[in-house]
Amino acid sequence: MTSEPQDIETVTTAVATGQPDNKTRRYDRQLRLWAATGQAALESSRILVIGASATSTSIMKNLVLPGIGHFTILDHREVTPEDAGNNFFFEGQKSIGKRRADEAVRLLGELNDSVEGRADHGNVEEILNSNPDYFLQFSLVIAHNLQPALLDKLAKFLWSDSSHPTLMVVRSAGFVAEFFIQFHEHTIIESHSESAPSLRIDKPFPELYEHAVSLDFDNMDPTDHAHIPYVLILVRALEDWKKLHEGNPPKTYAEKQQFKKSIQGMKKKLDEENFDEAEAQAYRAWTETTIPSEISSLFQDPSLSSLTPSSPPFFHLLSALHKFTLEPPYTLPLTSTLPDMRSDTMNYIHLQTLYKRRAEEEKARFKSLISKDVKIHDEIVDLFVKNAHAVLVMKGKKWGGFDEDRVTLGNDIANAKAMDPSGKETAKVATHLVLSALSLLTLKNPSSTPTADALKAEVLCILGPDIELSEEQLDVAVGEVARAPTADLPNVAAFLGGMVAQEAIKMITKQYVPQRGYLVIDMIDMWTGSVGM
Amino acid sequence: MSIAVNGDASSSGWQNQYYHVDQVLDRPGPRTDPSFLAGDGVKDFLRNQCKILVIGAGGLGCEILANLALSGFKDIHVIDMDTIDISNLNRQFLFRQKDVGKPKATVAAEFVMNRVPGVKVTPFYGKIQDKDEDYYMQFNLVICGLDSVEARRWINATLVNMVDPENPESLKPLIDGGTEGFKGQARVILPTITSCYECSLDMLNKQTAFPICTIANTPRLPEHCIEWASVLEWPRVFKDKKMDTDDPEHINWLYNTASKRAREFNIEGVTWSLTQGVVKNIIPAIASTNAIIAASCCNEAFKIATSSAAYLNNYFMLIGTEGVYSYTFEHEKRDDCPVCGGQTMDITISRDWTVDRLIEMLVERQDIQIKKPSLSTPTTHIYFQAPPQLEEATRPNLEKKVSELVDDGGEMTVTATTLPFSLSIRIKYT
Repeated sequence: MTSEPQDIETVTTAVATGQPDNKTRRYDRQLRLWAATGQAALESSRILVIGASATSTSIMKNLVLPGIGHFTILDHREVTPEDAGNNFFFEGQKSIGKRRADEAVRLLGELNDSVEGRADHGNVEEILNSNPDYFLQFSLVIAHNLQPALLDKLAKFLWSDSSHPTLMVVRSAGFVAEFFIQFHEHTIIESHSESAPSLRIDKPFPELYEHAVSLDFDNMDPTDHAHIPYVLILVRALEDWKKLHEGNPPKTYAEKQQFKKSIQGMKKKLDEENFDEAEAQAYRAWTETTIPSEISSLFQDPSLSSLTPSSPPFFHLLSALHKFTLEPPYTLPLTSTLPDMRSDTMNYIHLQTLYKRRAEEEKARFKSLISKDVKIHDEIVDLFVKNAHAVLVMKGKKWGGFDEDRVTLGNDIANAKAMDPSGKETAKVATHLVLSALSLLTLKNPSSTPTADALKAEVLCILGPDIELSEEQLDVAVGEVARAPTADLPNVAAFLGGMVAQEAIKMITKQYVPQRGYLVIDMIDMWTGSVGM
Repeated sequence: MSIAVNGDASSSGWQNQYYHVDQVLDRPGPRTDPSFLAGDGVKDFLRNQCKILVIGAGGLGCEILANLALSGFKDIHVIDMDTIDISNLNRQFLFRQKDVGKPKATVAAEFVMNRVPGVKVTPFYGKIQDKDEDYYMQFNLVICGLDSVEARRWINATLVNMVDPENPESLKPLIDGGTEGFKGQARVILPTITSCYECSLDMLNKQTAFPICTIANTPRLPEHCIEWASVLEWPRVFKDKKMDTDDPEHINWLYNTASKRAREFNIEGVTWSLTQGVVKNIIPAIASTNAIIAASCCNEAFKIATSSAAYLNNYFMLIGTEGVYSYTFEHEKRDDCPVCGGQTMDITISRDWTVDRLIEMLVERQDIQIKKPSLSTPTTHIYFQAPPQLEEATRPNLEKKVSELVDDGGEMTVTATTLPFSLSIRIKYT
């Protein structure tokens, strides 16, 4: 069934003799991070941003540039002199008095012709009251410093059904800021994890085992001996070790040292670097290939017990993976990617072919375990198998839940205190609470400037009588917000613009791992930290 | 497009233009240093006196220029030696398709002046090495958004050398940013006072270099085939013709040559994009990471220029691949830093080592990274890379043992044309 690799090679060569097209050239530096699959996901996304603040346009800039499909800016207000001074997507005085949405969409649109931008002069409050389904035409909704009552309503509506769009809530005041991603569930195949899959040296598949034991190490030509790939050396060394140790791999520290020595003992000449490499990789021989606990815990997901043909493909694949691991050799499907190692071309390519063939066989077995009722694209199956050691299911939380959950809040504050005598852990909880307090105050009293005392009182009210927070840390956080409660500073806006866009890209492409809980930012001491994970 | 008039600040400004920024300039916060003089004085310094230099008008540079302009810096200079390429347009947001081929510094300066009235941006299309100390002396601050280690080392060493203890004005804070994919860093360097760029050279990722024997004899990866095409085949076939990695025809030739070799060895995975990536050493780059790092740099510039808040001490590191992880720490000054340390570096070697071996080690050392070093002692030329006559005269020394030329504990000076400083090392024998 497999086509000749030679053919594929010839075809791609023929197609690609010229240079890549303009679009590929334009996006080259990002395609190297999220490839064509990620780019396609971006291009089919539709993003709504509520309000054209400096932070909002900074976020949109970093989404229009990489090429999202569509964006709408919903804003019924006009550009004020204050707006014109801190927003790069207004043209100074010339924009004053014009519609914020029009100006921002026009100037953001210039960044990328292939992105569709729309200015909507609607009032978010009216839309929430009369036509909340408006929000369902988008894949992602972003709200910066949205009036708290409206934010609350929007968050509740978007949370009310798991199929509703993701909401990103952004708050900032002066040098401090935070954001939060509200989603029900987020599945990731390409997490781009840095952990490498097992090469199964401890559980060699038959072809690997036979190849390793068939090599005549002692009578081999010296040049060949210096080019045996470390994988084969380790399989062989482990086999020899087990014979002398009742079938057990090295377990204790002393045994492991002894095992390493035995590898050095296999050398014919002192400078055979392939054996040094085998020694350095010796842990692969004594580390048992099992199902990583992060993966086996996914098999407990309730979605697996209630699979229907309409369930997301991810869970059908996860179910097939579970079944795969219940059969010998009780591992994840074998990786087809062999790392580089000291060897000559022939030995390396031969070993690589053994891995590829075996990986193909296991993939075929994996495919046979996928429910016959669903049709999943081969490319997705391939991706899933390739990333089986690092797939992820994230469960999200509702916006605002953390502040109402006294138990979690109390625990987090106690943990922060215990973890960190320098105070940074406490400082991030305090900063988050002061931003919440600022929201509550603007809700109660929209027209007056919040004072430090009022902010502090509001935080104490959230905390209640039982939870204690360092007064010193709280005063610092309160003082910082009271200093500049309505300031959307250009550098903080630009920083948030990068952060929020980055997380939006991860949500849309389903690649890499997005932030859990609140990400709190302090641009005075220049730190970021997570709260309420 | 209309052309904005770049007159003085008062005529082009408007009421409440700085409503947001003024909130942190009109009053101190709980952590602000008591020396901060809130109000008109600090605003006047920022907007009418402060002169800032931006090095690089690329991914970070575009962001830095926009942020500085909105923050209230009005006298900004920018240096960049590059022209605009289509692959810049996914992040360098001051450039459009029609600008491809034009100098980055000029286009970026023009754009920012049009967008933010009252800001003066002076471009220089050229190399930082074209400018002398007098030029750098005119600035209050320098921000770097570069992708080259060599250029960073040059400006760092230049600013450290400029410090005159008698003249506080000669100390120019250097803010340096860098990104790679979802990762990046921003740092504040106070030359001679805090850890400098050279002090932290060993933190750089070591570049993957493939041994020539692998490329020539035992290729295993598509990258090995590409290196074979560019390092061995190109000079063999084209002799003295220089390879231009920006020329698609050249990349095409390399791609086809590498593909042929890969087929011969049954190696899969040579593609046009990989070929280009390997020969140009392309580092992935996206708008969002650049925005984060550039914002951090400009925020530090703003804090230093205004004293409105404490500045970063001294290193901010960001990893955005798995959630958002950042780490802020104080990178320590190295006493034996060849640029700012003042102490001689001790190098311990065996008495058997040849000069050639010593040079190889100096090139390899992560904390030295000197490409083509020349060596001398106060009395002898040990080895010189140039000029040719001197190279030829000193070449026989490469085979000699270092111990024949330098006594135990003897000092040696290491220089390279790419670096504006010399390194003093003390040789010790095991």
